[in-house]
Amino acid sequence: MEAIVVKNLTKHFRKAYDKTLKGFFISLAKKEKRYKEFTALDDVSFSVQQGESYAIIGKNGAGKSTLFKVLSGIIAPDTGSIQINGKVAPLIELGAGLSRDLTGSENIRLNCAIFGLNKGRIKEVYDDIVAFSELEEFIHTPVKFYSSGMKARLGFSIAIHIDADIILIDEVLAVGDKDFKKKCYAKMEELRDAGKTLVVVSHSLKPLRKICDRALILDQGRVADVGEIGAMLDQYENEKKPKKKKQKGA
Amino acid sequence: MLAEMMKYKELLYFLVHKEVRIRYRNSLFGFFWTLLEPLGLMVIYTIVFGYILNVTEGRGEGIQHYSLFILSGLIPWTFFNNSMKKGTKSLSSNASLIKKVYFPREIFPVTMLLSNLVNFVPAFLLVFVVALSLGHPIDWGQLAMLPAFVLLQSVFTLACVFFVSVLNIYYRDVEFIINLVLRGWMYLSPIIYPVSFLSQNESDLVQQFADFYFLNPMAVMISLYHGIFYENQMVSPGFIIYTIVLSLVLLFSSWAIFKRLNRRVGEVI
Repeated sequence: MEAIVVKNLTKHFRKAYDKTLKGFFISLAKKEKRYKEFTALDDVSFSVQQGESYAIIGKNGAGKSTLFKVLSGIIAPDTGSIQINGKVAPLIELGAGLSRDLTGSENIRLNCAIFGLNKGRIKEVYDDIVAFSELEEFIHTPVKFYSSGMKARLGFSIAIHIDADIILIDEVLAVGDKDFKKKCYAKMEELRDAGKTLVVVSHSLKPLRKICDRALILDQGRVADVGEIGAMLDQYENEKKPKKKKQKGA
Repeated sequence: MLAEMMKYKELLYFLVHKEVRIRYRNSLFGFFWTLLEPLGLMVIYTIVFGYILNVTEGRGEGIQHYSLFILSGLIPWTFFNNSMKKGTKSLSSNASLIKKVYFPREIFPVTMLLSNLVNFVPAFLLVFVVALSLGHPIDWGQLAMLPAFVLLQSVFTLACVFFVSVLNIYYRDVEFIINLVLRGWMYLSPIIYPVSFLSQNESDLVQQFADFYFLNPMAVMISLYHGIFYENQMVSPGFIIYTIVLSLVLLFSSWAIFKRLNRRVGEVI
């Protein structure tokens, strides 16, 4: 059975030039379009099987984050359809805005509540979340004092403990330290083996090879290719090679 | 909507709790500000309008205890005023959360309303205490209707907050407009003067305006609160029905608008 079916998904963004009233009148007088349309996703179709680990790779600006946001429901697509079977948990980055002033423990409660867990269930998973994040010592400290690694740890711990069927993982993992990354990848494999569906949007390609089954390459909002993870990563790396050499030289 | 809200009642409880708790954080008097703020305003208005401008002179029959009159109108108004001001920003100030994860965004306006409601109820007890200490008669029958008045006002306020909160995402001008509108709205509601002043006024302009006065739902609602302490402030049943119908119609239409505009909130915010 499919966990996620995406059909002909298209998303345009409007880049407004000047949103003020003055700008409006100027562009009205000039008879020009008031905004420039930008296609972030162009006719994207793919499906993820239940229990599968799926990677979405692509350069900066390829539409990965937009796709991620559409999948998690934050942005509504212009055309096309998304069918999701099961509960989705996006791994979110903590510590911004509302949650900044809250302590780690309050953030756990808030995020669990956002994902619809009831009081009893929150109590049950609370200790596991704290234990996995290894933040026992700082759990009553406001999140604004956390390092980015600590935030990532807490975020990951919450995302994997909220009984989701489908877990969306963005590139947030990049900030955790080596040991924690290892632990995360181990946990991801464990989740996959437990029959959960994982969708990983990532830059760091190495670990994907171990975790994921299939991958999708996005290029300028279009699906460039879909296939088995090894072949896709090789293809993607070959394209990127000239860039990589430069980095090594510098 | 209610069914969806029930699913997220844990989240709603958490957010309301947080909102109430952080409002008076780092303040010496804490929760007492709920009472101190309207009391302070009562003193100011009583001095300015009751003594300096002396509005009650010569035509003050029916509004003995001017300070009580002010307070009984001011407290429901403060509930509306604060809900609107905070509610306008309820979505825009939670941008970081809205951008990261999806859940019904109606939660934010509702949170603002409920957290202000929590402040409003003890504040209304204050009016009661002031009335008793002044030895002012209380209409117990009307007092029994208080929960219904509060419900009506909440429905109306929520309708307005839904609309302005989502509009403020697209145009931040709404914040500024609302501040101005609220100021004017307050003076067009019977808070510092009783409605009877309008009919007593000799100016033709005011006389004509008086006929339309109760088209302002807040004027109706504040008069209902006044009715608990002042017999002669009663509104005709027609206007009460008008306010109830208007509030319900507004609630459904602004909720529909909210849902419609909500589609693009995630990218515009």
